[in-house]
Amino acid sequence: MQCELPVAKEATIYFGGGTPTVLSTEQIAKVVGSLKEYGWWNNPAEATIEANPGTVNDEKLKALRELGFDRISLGVQSLQDNELRALGRIHTAEQALYAIEEAKQADFRRINADLMSGIPCQTVESFRNTMNKILQMNLSHISAYSLILEEGTPLERMVREDKVQLPDEKGSYNMYEMTTDILAKAGLQRYEISNYAAPGEESLHNIVYWHYEPYAAFGAGACSFTGSERRTNTADVLQYIQGSANLSLSALKTESDLWQTESLDCKTQIGEAMIMGLRMSDGVNLQKIQQRFGIDILESYGKEIQTLLDRKMAECEGRTLRLTPYGMRYGNRAFEVFV
Amino acid sequence: MQKDHIRNFSIIAHIDHGKSTLADRLIEMTGTLSKREMEEQILDSMDLEKERGITIKDQAVQSIYRAKNGEDYMLNFIDTPGHVDFNYEVSRALAACEGALLVIDASQGIEAQTLANTYLALDNNLEIIPVINKIDLPSADPDKVRKEIEDVIGIDASEAVLCSAKTGEGVEEILEAIVERIPAPECDDNKPLKALVFDSKFDSYKGVLLYLRVYDGTIRKGMKIEMMATGATYEVTEVGVFKPTPVNVDVLTAGEVGFLAAAIKTVGEARVGDTVTDAAHPADEPLPGYRKATPMVFCGLYPVENTDYDNLRDALEKLHLNDAALLFEPETSTALGFGFRCGFLGLLHMDVIKERLEREYKLDLITTAPNVVYQIDKTSGDIELVDNPSAFPDPTVIATVSEPYVTATIIVPKDYVGAVMELSQEKRGEYQNMTYLDEDRVMIHYSLPLSEIIYDYFDRLKSCSRGYASLDYELSGYKPSDLVKVDILLNGDPVDALSAIVHRENAQVQGRRLVERLRSLIPRQQFSIPVQAAIGNKVIAREDVAALRKDVLAKCYGGDITRKRKLLEKQKAGKKRMKQVGTVELPQEAFMAILSMDKKK
Repeated sequence: MQCELPVAKEATIYFGGGTPTVLSTEQIAKVVGSLKEYGWWNNPAEATIEANPGTVNDEKLKALRELGFDRISLGVQSLQDNELRALGRIHTAEQALYAIEEAKQADFRRINADLMSGIPCQTVESFRNTMNKILQMNLSHISAYSLILEEGTPLERMVREDKVQLPDEKGSYNMYEMTTDILAKAGLQRYEISNYAAPGEESLHNIVYWHYEPYAAFGAGACSFTGSERRTNTADVLQYIQGSANLSLSALKTESDLWQTESLDCKTQIGEAMIMGLRMSDGVNLQKIQQRFGIDILESYGKEIQTLLDRKMAECEGRTLRLTPYGMRYGNRAFEVFV
Repeated sequence: MQKDHIRNFSIIAHIDHGKSTLADRLIEMTGTLSKREMEEQILDSMDLEKERGITIKDQAVQSIYRAKNGEDYMLNFIDTPGHVDFNYEVSRALAACEGALLVIDASQGIEAQTLANTYLALDNNLEIIPVINKIDLPSADPDKVRKEIEDVIGIDASEAVLCSAKTGEGVEEILEAIVERIPAPECDDNKPLKALVFDSKFDSYKGVLLYLRVYDGTIRKGMKIEMMATGATYEVTEVGVFKPTPVNVDVLTAGEVGFLAAAIKTVGEARVGDTVTDAAHPADEPLPGYRKATPMVFCGLYPVENTDYDNLRDALEKLHLNDAALLFEPETSTALGFGFRCGFLGLLHMDVIKERLEREYKLDLITTAPNVVYQIDKTSGDIELVDNPSAFPDPTVIATVSEPYVTATIIVPKDYVGAVMELSQEKRGEYQNMTYLDEDRVMIHYSLPLSEIIYDYFDRLKSCSRGYASLDYELSGYKPSDLVKVDILLNGDPVDALSAIVHRENAQVQGRRLVERLRSLIPRQQFSIPVQAAIGNKVIAREDVAALRKDVLAKCYGGDITRKRKLLEKQKAGKKRMKQVGTVELPQEAFMAILSMDKKK
């Protein structure tokens, strides 16, 4: 499995998918080892691992650090035990705080915590309390997601059947607004719709996604992107393992029931590039879009963009188009222009 | 074929009583088409007709039947539409026949629609053969139906044919009855040509095809014909019959049914009901024509995209080629831009046209709520006919407003009489009378405003009778009514396309329901939208569509984009069907809000 994707030599590394730390240190070391062996892990600019509090301890954290991970993303979600229980999380608020502390002691200088607003049992006050507590930990990065109920999920069903109560619309909106204010005061700037960081501490890896640049991926359910084709591996772990063991190099380039590929035509690529790019506070560099796709966005989408500008949802400065904070609030309405 | 071996007939039946299946079976039994060629319900050739199980356009099929007496008979079957909207087509078809099969479902009995059409047939002096269909059903009760036919219609049902079009049982008896009981046409090949145009169809290669019943004389290819109403003359390029696909023949003789083509460019040049004669030896007088179909229901049709206006006009013109009853003229709405005010025979006709425009011509349309034509007597003494609520004049210049009324015939099991009366009363109906058809079923007559019928009377009649009620109606004339115009304001601006004409007594309630309904139909936007109902300058109801506080996907990383993009695409597709009115996006349903006000929210 040699490098075949146009990915830079110092490409960032991200171990994600929720809880890769369910694997033992030895197992993780084995994966890292083979990535190194085949040249995928090559002096990366950033190597992040996701972890759930409750799946790590100081020993494991130290080992991960020694393996070369320099950034950790912890799925804290909330620091209220009742809310964590309602979400079905296995950790408590105390365990979450402790995990952060241990990560620091293991010499992780770049730590992210995932937080959620609009979750069952939450109130504006309890959310403020969670935020204040997390800020005391002096983290350099926070991802704060507003819960979106999606059809077909267990939570959606429970809400529909009145088994759990979500904060009302006004409440969740207040939490959403509060997030930006509180984090900005603590020096964490919003650089993407749901991501906040101290200057220079943004996630380099995630910026690859939002800049619509290529990335390689391994593992069940993982998704790679060449710039014009997206390949999503089967979510069936056993099938993935058995299939990849029998895979020859040439087979990598062909269709397989191990993954689904989606070829993206130029218009789709442009649309996706805009949707991803507009998620960032810096917006989209239209010059770069023009260089890459050969189209002038302001010309092709002139009328729609003018409407966004008129409604103060977006602003255009030189060759940069970005959403205003108001525009981010209604991001889908802006993204719709490009699908 | 000898004249005394020709039989021209049609079938009268209520929707679902099995007319199409029976027609298929007759065609099959006479060997006109082999089983292999039989397509299910061959006569309903339009897709829409198949889907809805209804017949919209007349069809005429010729078949040759060898009767038990060993002789061959030419059977011309003229199919008729079964819906009240297309009543006038039924009368046209019946005028071309000497007999009719009256098909009644053995478990359902007579329905209002059947009754109306049977009376039409009796008016045309047709020989009626009662056919009791679906006798294979366990719930079939032919004796009861037979008695009903005698009691209600007053014709002898002792010789009614029992059949099951589904199994084929009794179908041969029907064919024999047609031969024995329906009179042969009285006609003469040697007299000057007289042929009745009972339908027409536009064919892009041959021009207009005229569906004809020849009364006297003959028609051949190459002869010069004259349309007696317009005086226009044409040279016949083709003569033929339907078997059921068109087959050219040398000659159509007196008593026969078929078609001709004569390079006629538009349906308007050769009107249905006109008489075709020989230009060289014209007949003295034309055959009695038909009453012209008058549109009773009007609505505005607007393209969602203004750039589709020309396409919409072209499409309407094409549909009009085949459907003289469809009226349309350009109109402008401040809210919706350029569109057309269209006139239809009824709601089904409107739906059918709208669906054809959307399906066959791929147009995205906004339809405004249907309305009737109001007659306004002004204080100045002028009389104005208004077919658009937004054109309703200022109350100060109105002396009286009149609206069309219908006489409605409702047939319903007796248990539902109370519910039907309550509904009819709510719909401003005036009770006329009630007759028991048998110990279970009742026929009720009401005088009702047509506007109430086109709103939701039929739907509610069906639901309050668990689907058992059947309805037929005919226009009875105009009556004065105390009507007012209710305007709808969005964001403080009136939206002309949402105006409604309602009875003054109900205005308050209707206005309130209308704004409530609109509030639930208008998608939430980034700002709150006040929805108001007003009579003149007086606001009578208000509801606000609350602002949406946020609308954004919280998470979007590498693997999420496909799914998120599809979500956005779906959302956008939904909005494509919406019309931007000022800053507000209105879905099609909003324009029909008045039709669905009484439904549960």
